[in-house]
Amino acid sequence: MNMEQYSILGRIGEGAHGIVFKAKHIETGETVALKKVALRRLEDGIPNQALREIKALQEIEDNQHVRSKACDAPVFSVQDLKPANLLISSSGHLKIADFGLARLFSEQGERLYSHQVATRWYRAPELLYGARKYDEGVDLWAVGCIFGELLNSSPLFPGENDIEQLCCVLRVLGTPTQDSWPEIVELPDYNKITFKENPAIPLEEIVPDTCPQAVHLLYKFLVYPSRQRCSARQALLHPYFFSSPLPAHHSELPIPQRGGRPPRQRLQAPPTDFSVDLPLQNSVVDPALLQGHASCL
Amino acid sequence: MFHNSSQKKYWIFKSEDELEQKRYKANQKFRNKARESGKPGVSESMFLERHEEDVLFRHYERRLLEFCNAFKPAMPKSVVGTAATYFRRFYVNNSIMEFHPRIIMLTCAYLSCKVDEFNVSSTQFVGNLLQETPAGQERVLEQILEYELLLIQQLNFHLVVHNPYRPMEGLLIDLKTRYPTLENPESLRKSADDFLTQAALTDAGLLFSPSQIALTAILNSASRASLNLESYLTECLGLKQDKETLSKMYDSMRRMKTLLKKYELPKSEEVNVYKQRLERIHAEFATSSNKRKRGYEEDGHVAKEARLVEEEWTDEDLI
Repeated sequence: MNMEQYSILGRIGEGAHGIVFKAKHIETGETVALKKVALRRLEDGIPNQALREIKALQEIEDNQHVRSKACDAPVFSVQDLKPANLLISSSGHLKIADFGLARLFSEQGERLYSHQVATRWYRAPELLYGARKYDEGVDLWAVGCIFGELLNSSPLFPGENDIEQLCCVLRVLGTPTQDSWPEIVELPDYNKITFKENPAIPLEEIVPDTCPQAVHLLYKFLVYPSRQRCSARQALLHPYFFSSPLPAHHSELPIPQRGGRPPRQRLQAPPTDFSVDLPLQNSVVDPALLQGHASCL
Repeated sequence: MFHNSSQKKYWIFKSEDELEQKRYKANQKFRNKARESGKPGVSESMFLERHEEDVLFRHYERRLLEFCNAFKPAMPKSVVGTAATYFRRFYVNNSIMEFHPRIIMLTCAYLSCKVDEFNVSSTQFVGNLLQETPAGQERVLEQILEYELLLIQQLNFHLVVHNPYRPMEGLLIDLKTRYPTLENPESLRKSADDFLTQAALTDAGLLFSPSQIALTAILNSASRASLNLESYLTECLGLKQDKETLSKMYDSMRRMKTLLKKYELPKSEEVNVYKQRLERIHAEFATSSNKRKRGYEEDGHVAKEARLVEEEWTDEDLI
């Protein structure tokens, strides 16, 4: 790629692996995001994170990737899910931004991976215990953390360092035992560190003033054994999404304004009559209206 | 998935002719550059002809596979396949006279390990160059890192390679579950594996989809065992009605088999002669590329010259 083809419009952000610029492709006028990665003195050459990012971006056809990939969940992992990487477009679409740590899952399940992957607060406990083999469960843990953070407006497990991170998690979920988490004995750092035993704190106390369905769903994500975490597919069928307030169509979402102006009022859906005698068609959304917003339909 | 991959879009070519034209162009490009360099003593006879380049390419390709297959810890097949694919893709648009295949092949293997998440440290990687001293290995590593970005650029940042190994497993599973006529599908594996190994030494991967290659491997293996799988294609793969696809597929299979049959082992006497010329070309035009600075002179030997000061990578290299 040649930088002369672009004019830099401004700086969007800075991550651990590079600076992101807003730029315009001069020939087509298209607005793009450019990421500049410093490649100085790297003893192993180009970092794996950068390669994973290139890989993921090159194989994803267009900017529809977030939605289409969400439907292929079992084979795609993001590994760095955190609120800072979630972007909501002006049309209300959620996009997962940083693919720096994304890798396409290999089903062989025998390879070893670096364990310093997810940003600390959203890092799954098996990673905190040094796991080198892991699965999409690490994303589902992060989803739980993000969901809890949305409910509470503050992070659930704000550890200041890796040890403290583990303390934060253990304080809430209780000290893991071989019963609650059989795989723990196989984790590299299991014997390196022991914590005072304490019982779990009910999540109702961690996210107070929250509807029971939300707490129930949170319980499904925040469990020690990775495989017991609720899959994305299952989660979508959870009663939480079918109880009031119902999920909004993205066109109903409030759009945050630049410059700190108060957001547009959310459009209120008319009160729904849930009488069982009404014809079902009245309450069903026309799939045609959803096309283009949900590619998995 | 293959069908929306960069491989399908950019790295499957129409014909062998198209590939040959590209390689011819790369060869010409180097000649032009050499002529324009204004160096004294540039004569047409010093350059390698296309067929001579081909012999050396095949020689280094075999060395790459030897290196990968002897690698400790054992390299997964897909990593080897990806490395070999990188090597072929790189020399579609570049001449071996411009970039020495000795270092490019190692860079391909190194990159493939990283891309395919086969995590070995850089020291471990060059530790596999058994004939090198630790200092020599260190120097090779520096060269690999020097060429890594160039390789990625020449691959046009298309790093994901779809190999035929997984489709082959899929076909074997499919045969076992949906085609009871065939008694022991596993018996096809050995010869089908050999086919894939052979196919990796040809342009098959640049002309056909991985599943086509895998299917050809299976059918070829069956026909060697005098088994007829035609009804599998017509009944299980649903090609009974679709005569056009079926005949296209048979055509691809024939072309693939011809490719494999045409493969010639590089003759060692030819390799030696061309190699000398290649070394001379690289010595002569070494400075023509600022990517090449120093080297281990002959295969397996370490250059004794003082090392030049390394130019540091800057951010600008990337963009």
